Amino acid sequence: MNHATAAQVIRRVVAALVLVLSVSTAAFTLARLAPGDETTADVMEGVDAETIARKRERLGLDRPFPVQLAHFTWDLLRLDLGESASYDRPVAALVAERGANTARLAFAALLLATLVGLPLGVVTGAYAGTWVARLLSTVSIAVLACPPLVAVLALLYIAATTGWMSVATGDLLVPSLALGLPVAATLERLQSQATQDAMASPDLLAAAARGIPPLRLVWVHAARQSLRPVLGVYGIVIGSLFSGSMAVEFATSWPGLGRLMLDAVQFSDVRLVAGCVFAGGICLAVGNLVADGLRTLVDPRVRDLV
Amino acid sequence: MRGAAGGLLVAFLLLAATAPWITSNSPERPFDDRAFAPPMRVHVRDAEGWHAPFVYRQQLVHRTRRIYVEDHVARVPLRWLSTGRLVSIDPAAGPLLWCGADALGRDLCARLVYGARLSLGVAVLGASGALLLGALLGGVAGATGGRLDTLIMTVADFVLVLPVVYLVMVLRATRPLVISPAEVFWLMATLFALAAWPDVARGVRAIVATERTRDYAAAARALGAGPWRVITQLLPAAYGFLRIEFVLLIPALLVAESTISFVGFGFEGATPSWGGLLKDSEALTAMYSAPWLLLPAAALFVVVLALQTVAGSRASLGASVVDTTAARR
Amino acid sequence: MTPSRILRLVLAVALAVAVIVFVWQRGTPQSETDSTPRTGGKLVATFRTEPTHFNRLVEARPVARLTALLTQATLLRVDPGTGALDPRLATEWTGTPDGLTWTITLRNGVRFSDGTAFTASDVLFTFQAIYDERVNSPLAPDLLVKGQPIQVRAIDDHHIVLTFPSPFGQGLAILDSVPILPRHKLQAALDSGTFRTAWSASSTVSDMAGMGPFMLQEYVPAQHLRFVRNPHFWHTDTKGQKLPYLDELEVQIVLEQNAELLRLQSGNSDLTNGGARAEDLAMLHDAETAGRVRLVDAGPATDVSTFWFNLTPGAKAVADKPWLAEEAFRRAISHAVNRQAIVDTVHLGSAAVVYGPVSPGHGDWFVPDLGATPFDLARARTLLTSIGLHDRNGDGVLDDASNRPVEFSLLTQRGHTERERTSALVREQLRQVGITVNVSPLDQNVVRARFESGDYETIYYGAQSNSTDPTTSRAFWQSGGQMHFWNPNQITPATEWEGRIDALMQQQAETMDRSERKRLFAEAQQLLADHVPALWFAAAHVTVPMSARVGGATPSVIQPPVLWNAEMLYVQGPRR
Repeated sequence: MNHATAAQVIRRVVAALVLVLSVSTAAFTLARLAPGDETTADVMEGVDAETIARKRERLGLDRPFPVQLAHFTWDLLRLDLGESASYDRPVAALVAERGANTARLAFAALLLATLVGLPLGVVTGAYAGTWVARLLSTVSIAVLACPPLVAVLALLYIAATTGWMSVATGDLLVPSLALGLPVAATLERLQSQATQDAMASPDLLAAAARGIPPLRLVWVHAARQSLRPVLGVYGIVIGSLFSGSMAVEFATSWPGLGRLMLDAVQFSDVRLVAGCVFAGGICLAVGNLVADGLRTLVDPRVRDLV
Repeated sequence: MRGAAGGLLVAFLLLAATAPWITSNSPERPFDDRAFAPPMRVHVRDAEGWHAPFVYRQQLVHRTRRIYVEDHVARVPLRWLSTGRLVSIDPAAGPLLWCGADALGRDLCARLVYGARLSLGVAVLGASGALLLGALLGGVAGATGGRLDTLIMTVADFVLVLPVVYLVMVLRATRPLVISPAEVFWLMATLFALAAWPDVARGVRAIVATERTRDYAAAARALGAGPWRVITQLLPAAYGFLRIEFVLLIPALLVAESTISFVGFGFEGATPSWGGLLKDSEALTAMYSAPWLLLPAAALFVVVLALQTVAGSRASLGASVVDTTAARR
Repeated sequence: MTPSRILRLVLAVALAVAVIVFVWQRGTPQSETDSTPRTGGKLVATFRTEPTHFNRLVEARPVARLTALLTQATLLRVDPGTGALDPRLATEWTGTPDGLTWTITLRNGVRFSDGTAFTASDVLFTFQAIYDERVNSPLAPDLLVKGQPIQVRAIDDHHIVLTFPSPFGQGLAILDSVPILPRHKLQAALDSGTFRTAWSASSTVSDMAGMGPFMLQEYVPAQHLRFVRNPHFWHTDTKGQKLPYLDELEVQIVLEQNAELLRLQSGNSDLTNGGARAEDLAMLHDAETAGRVRLVDAGPATDVSTFWFNLTPGAKAVADKPWLAEEAFRRAISHAVNRQAIVDTVHLGSAAVVYGPVSPGHGDWFVPDLGATPFDLARARTLLTSIGLHDRNGDGVLDDASNRPVEFSLLTQRGHTERERTSALVREQLRQVGITVNVSPLDQNVVRARFESGDYETIYYGAQSNSTDPTTSRAFWQSGGQMHFWNPNQITPATEWEGRIDALMQQQAETMDRSERKRLFAEAQQLLADHVPALWFAAAHVTVPMSARVGGATPSVIQPPVLWNAEMLYVQGPRR
């Protein structure tokens, strides 16, 4: 590893750290500034004012905001994510537990999306104008244009009425389909466009002129060139999948990070919100790293631009 | 194909623009005894023979089970160009419901058309803003590399991970309770642009970064082109990607509209919006017994399909290359 | 093979498979069921929130109440239908004529689920824990009589004496909400101050014990709870058969209401969280006709959404709208709202019109037509004119004396379809009399936060009431109460009539004669109706869906509608 690459890596790591710390602090600040706090859910639940006041005291909510922020930042620097007010458990334990669940789901969805989306994208891009490509593109658009909750509900409806797929909580099939199909469609669209651009590029014309067979042209030369922009957003795809999709996890009751985040927002559990965002930041940083790694593998030209 | 899609989009714009004239009812008025009413069917023929187009009055038979029947006692002829509307019927016979009614007995068709005005506008504006911002920042990042690149990408990641819902909540709390639709419109479009640019920037950066290694870029630099000139030379390579991102963003932003209206930052209840209509379609009852509630989702699909067809790439040189080489064999 | 040909083949095969499966799945007939309870079987219920604690003394949320109902027992239980007191862990009770001191006999031979014998010391321990400051129990305020705790002492292992510090109208009915906890499991935690976290969601399940019909065998976080029969449960049915009938009860946590309904309708679950929404009744009726589901209408609910005005004196938010403080204005709105239309459109007919916070679900506490304001637009307009609101510029909207248009904002809960839709209807109805309402559906927490800070004009919201006795909502009726919506936490009553309500409610709380209590309470309700600080429109019917294989259910309007009596439930036949 030479000097320049080492500098690159250090820069990346520092950037990731800065990202995670700053975004967690920003989330904490925003959540604190937003109306309501951890005791708001008790208002109108019949809990009396004294009990609420004592709870406020216990959680340190009566301290001025700068003091709370200082405490939070100090804890964060020591990697202490604090305690969740609604679960009465350490945030780190909760996030790790749910994060593992989301990771399972995200992995399945990512696999599905990549194995389905990318090859189909190459097909619709290279053979654009044929009825196959048109049909596939239309299906892709239908999946994309569908609001996420409608799609999940439709899947659940089909699963429940036909009995083909299990709708039990904890069963992976329906949630991974619900999560993976829209991502597959997005990847397909991006790959399709990128393939079309690649097919129109002078490189490919030159390769064709050299007599390279069409199948090789499409699946080796064009594919490699077209994966660039797709891998550019792949990091974001990985990051968002692994930090949990709120819509899918909510509708399928998947016990993951997205659902934890929803709970945290619902109960104004500020520490938990910051903890989920912390995890999200890490997922995105790792996702970008993986995507960039894949990019150098696919396209040797960019090795120095990692 | 492209012509047809383009025509469809223009027709859509026209519909939205002429909403008060095209629709048969006000979008906000709840009609009594019309909750979840099905679409009315137009007939031209009955036992007595052929007539000018007419409908039958809708009769509510069972309220809880939402059973409606056509009242075949009398024909209700369609009236053209009366009371300032394109098509209408005698008000005494109830409302004319082409697309059925929603849960409150409001004309779904009217809500769809009126809703298109604000919602599609916000989505298009927001998407355009995101493209501009993302292309600019992504282009700069990809063209320069090094520290500036890392900085821009870290900011992009920051925006991606930040929970927008809280940002919206805080923003909402700073504004007075009642804000005009115009203010919501511009604020929302800005919010969308600011929230969606990172996706665009990432992709543009990746494309520009590899374009930078090409010969023409090196030539430009050798000729003494300044950094901005270089960027403008490299960006066209990303146009295809930008086109696709536009098409991907529109439905995403429309759904986002309904999501952030959850924290109170949306078009207020009276103003129909596609985000709100899409939210209504997220119900089991829509799939099971009131499928017309899924019309907004279908309309969205048509719009996005039309956009894709119009904005999509021209039939690629590559495809014809493949064909000719195949033909040679 | 070209891609096009492969695709064609795949599509054809997929289509064929789909057709075959579709045809095969249809038309599986249901077998007839008989109604003799049979021991054994498993029931699957769904619930919409996940537990954070398993200790009812620490956690007030509905899911903690559910686990307490299933795993713990109380001394006695209030029958939701008749209001009578059923003996549970207490078999007999006799009281002094003034109703202050009660001698209670405890059931013999009862054991906790881990085999330990139940004695009076467990009852004493439970009360000690409730009143302990470190525990900060949400149950404590309801068990204080004029701020004083109830005294409990043991005579021997099976007899206790309970003394109220002052006359308490509710009497022993209060014991319905106190689950008796095992002293041998929790005394140490109480002494060391860790009672709050002793039975949290991450605790070991086998550390918990109770005298309820079931034991918690397994909790998979955020996914499901599995309960099994408690072999030491003391109750037997009339034929002497040991209860519960069920071997196993699984409660799955399903967040989304549509997904929950799908599970029931497709036979994946047997019971849901609560009543069905009006819009889903059509689908459930079809399922009922097909014999898969049974629907039971338990009657109007006890919780009614409230539309209240910000009547806090000097509130900045309403400073420029003095007419909101006028009774005539509020009464005009009551006349302008078409409640029947709300029942018909929002609830699809499945609700009862109400004019106050008490609904027919509260049994004989409800006085029909008390405070009824008929739908009368003319009367509404007259009232509005009488306080100086006319349409001065002919734009269809009323204006006040300073020529400002009469409009106000209404906050409601985003995501709650009933409240959102009712608000939309009310807006359209009030437009008829020239009043502009700006409806702002907001996130629940934001609504509550604005209520807490007094930064609102009107709100349409409500609290879940879970008792058929409306007088228990002291926080609502009392002017110093936190849920006295229009002007909470008053130090002294702000108005004469609120002071009178305070006195009436205090009186009825101390009266032992039920008919006298009803009379006093009716007077309080009438005062509320006369001064219109808030409006009520409709009480939704609680329609409880359950799978056809469930037997022995006695649905009530109290949450949870079926599982409150889980020991009597049995199942017939396999799950579809």
